[in-house]
Amino acid sequence: MKTPLEPRSGASAGDGPAGALVPPPVPPPRGPGRVREAGTTAVDAAPPGTFRLAAGGLSLLVPRRPLLAGVLLATVLVAVGAVGLSVGEIAVAPLDALRAAVLGEGSPRDLLVVEELRMPRVEAGIAVGAALGAAGCLMQTLSGNRLATPDTVGLNNGATAFAVAGIVAVPTGLLPSATALVGAATAAALTLALSGGAGQRGYRFLVVGLGVGAVFGAVTNLILSRAEIDAANAAFAWTVGTLNGRSQTAVTVLEAGLLVCLPPAVVLGHRLGALRFSDAVATSLGVRVRPVRAAVLLTSVVCAGLAVAVAGPLGMIALAAPEAARRLTGPGPVPVVTSALAGAVLTLLADLVGRTAMAPLEIPVGLVTAVVGGPYLLWLLLTTRTRRTP
Amino acid sequence: MNAVTPATATAPAPVAAPEFGLGAGAGAEDAGGAHRLRTEALTLAHGRTPVVRELDVELPPRRVTAIVGPNGCGKSTLLGGLARLLEPRGGSVLLDGRALSSVSTREVARVIGLLPQSATAPDGLTVRDLVRYGRRPHQGLLRQWSRADAEAVEAALDAADLHELADRPLETLSGGQRQRAWIAMAVAQDTDILMLDEPTSALDIGHQLEVLEMVRSLAARGRTVVLVLHDLTTACRYADHMLAMLDGRVVAQGAPAQIMTSALVRTLYGVESTILTDPVHGTPVVCPTGLAASPGPAADGANGTDSGGS
Repeated sequence: MKTPLEPRSGASAGDGPAGALVPPPVPPPRGPGRVREAGTTAVDAAPPGTFRLAAGGLSLLVPRRPLLAGVLLATVLVAVGAVGLSVGEIAVAPLDALRAAVLGEGSPRDLLVVEELRMPRVEAGIAVGAALGAAGCLMQTLSGNRLATPDTVGLNNGATAFAVAGIVAVPTGLLPSATALVGAATAAALTLALSGGAGQRGYRFLVVGLGVGAVFGAVTNLILSRAEIDAANAAFAWTVGTLNGRSQTAVTVLEAGLLVCLPPAVVLGHRLGALRFSDAVATSLGVRVRPVRAAVLLTSVVCAGLAVAVAGPLGMIALAAPEAARRLTGPGPVPVVTSALAGAVLTLLADLVGRTAMAPLEIPVGLVTAVVGGPYLLWLLLTTRTRRTP
Repeated sequence: MNAVTPATATAPAPVAAPEFGLGAGAGAEDAGGAHRLRTEALTLAHGRTPVVRELDVELPPRRVTAIVGPNGCGKSTLLGGLARLLEPRGGSVLLDGRALSSVSTREVARVIGLLPQSATAPDGLTVRDLVRYGRRPHQGLLRQWSRADAEAVEAALDAADLHELADRPLETLSGGQRQRAWIAMAVAQDTDILMLDEPTSALDIGHQLEVLEMVRSLAARGRTVVLVLHDLTTACRYADHMLAMLDGRVVAQGAPAQIMTSALVRTLYGVESTILTDPVHGTPVVCPTGLAASPGPAADGANGTDSGGS
C-alpha cells in the first residue's frame, strides 16, 4: 500500500514507474580512469616514511624511523657496553676494552680483566635485557595494555618463590637458575590455566597474573621469614635480581633461547600489528587470531622465563624498554627488535649504575631498576592517554 | 592477481589476470567471475543463545544488499557469519558452493572484506597506515609492498576523498573522516565481496551520501556489497536487494520497492507508517506516523540486549 507523493511542479518523478529501482548514477570523478591516473603517480613509491627493497617478486618494506631507532640504540649499546667493560676496580680505557672484547687484542692485563671478568657479565646483561624487552613488547601489544609484562603477570614472583624455596626450604641440589625457570613456567602455566587461555583482550590474563604473582610473593615472604639468617642471606639475590654470580649455563641457555625465539618474535610482531585492531578486523584482514595469540604468549613466556633464570626477578625492564622503543619508533610497526635493543641498553645502564654508584659496594641491578622504575611507572600511569578512536 | 581469481573460484578465471588493483573490477563485465555467497539453514549463536536461526539467503552478485531490522535481530551476527568471524552452530555458509569454514582465513580475506561496527585503531596510526593494512591479505613476509598494493592504496584514498588527510593521525579526524578512512581500508583490501556494518552511523547527511555513493560506485565496478543499515529510506534508495530480519529470521527479501510495505514496517518495528515514493528516484520513502496500537514483535522479540557488536 503506497501513497505516491504528489510531484511538485517541475519536479520530475518520471525517471521510471513508481517503485522501480533506479540506481543513482555513478559520480564521474570516481570512475576507474581517475583511479588509474592517481595510481600511476605513486606506483613505484613506497609509502611515506619507508623504503622498499625489492628483488624479483619479493619485496621488503623497511620503515625509516624504526631503522634509525635501531641503529641509534645499537650504537648506544656498544658505547654503554664499552663503558661497562672499562669501569671497575681496574680501569681500562673504553676503546682498549672494546678492542680486547671484540678482537681479542691488548695487554694481558686488559685481556684478563675484560674477557675473563667483565665480558660474561656484560654479555649476560645484554641477553637478559634483550629477552625481557622483546617479551614485554609482545605481551603488551598482545593484551593492548602497557602494564601487561612478564613481571606483572606473575612470572618473576613465581621464579623467586621457587628459587628461594630451592635454596632455603627444600634444598634440591638443583641450580637456583633451574628452579627459577621451573617457577616462571609454573606461574605462567597457572596464569594461563586459570584465565582460560589468552582470552579476548588479555585483561583477564593480566588480572589473574597479578593474583598468581601475589600468591607467589606471599610464599616467598613466608619461606624467608622462617629461614635461618644465613640461608635467607643466600637467597636474597633471588629476591631482587642481579647480574652478579649468574650461572654461565643459564646464560648459554638464554642465548640459545634468544636465537630460537627472536626470529619468530619478529614475524609475530608483524602479525601482531593487525591484532592491535579488534579481533573482527584482524580476522577479516586474514590473520588467524587464536594461533597467533598463543604463539606470541608462548614466545614471550619462554624469553622472560629464561631471562629470569639468569638474573632473577629483574623488574621494570620489560615494562620500560618497549615504552622507550615505541617513543623512538613512533606508531606503526610493533617494535620487537627495538624493544630488545632498548632492554639491553637499559639493563646494562642499570648494572653500570649499580656497580659504580656506591663502589666498592655493589647494588644489585634489580634494585636499581626498581628505584628508577617505580617513579617511571607512576609517571606512565599519570600520563597514560586513554584516547581511543571510536 | 589472487584477489580476483583465488583458487576457490569454480567459474572460469578471467583471461589475463589484470595487474591493477581496483581496475580489475572495471574490466570484468561478464557476470561469470563474481564470487557467490549464500547460506544454507545457517544458525549462528553467541554462547548458547541462537541469534540467527536456520537462514537461507543468497547475496546477489555485483549488487548492493541491505540488511535491515530492529536492534538485536541478528543483523551484525549474520554479517559476522557471512564473513567467517563466527563458526556456524548449524547449517553452513557457502562461497562458490564450498563451505566457508573449510577455506583458510587468508583466502577468505582476499574475497570478503568486512568493516565491523565501531572499529578501533591503535593510537597514532595515520590514515595511510590504516588503509595500508587493507593490503595485508595480499602481502607476505617477503612480499611486503607491490605495485598493486601501492595502486590499491592510492585508489582507495582517492575513492574516499582522503588524499589531503592521508598523513594525519586517525584520532585527529572527525567521526565522518575516520569512518571514511576505515571504509577506504576495506576498499583497499580489494575483495569481491564487501560487508559494511552500519557504515553511515554517526555521519552527517553529506558524509552519509558520500559513503553510500561510494558503495554504489563499487557495485557498479562489479563488487558485491552488503550493508547493515538502520534507516529504511536510505536502504530502499541505495540497495538493489533487501533482507528484512526479525528475531534471527528473514521475514522479507527482495527488491526494496517490492517488499517495503507499511505492514512490514509494523512487523519489524511495531511502528505505523506511510510509504511514499521518492519524487526524484522513485524509491520507497518510509514515513513513520506513530507506534502501532498493539506492540509489534520487535518489543519482545529481541534477545534483550543489542547483540550488534559481534
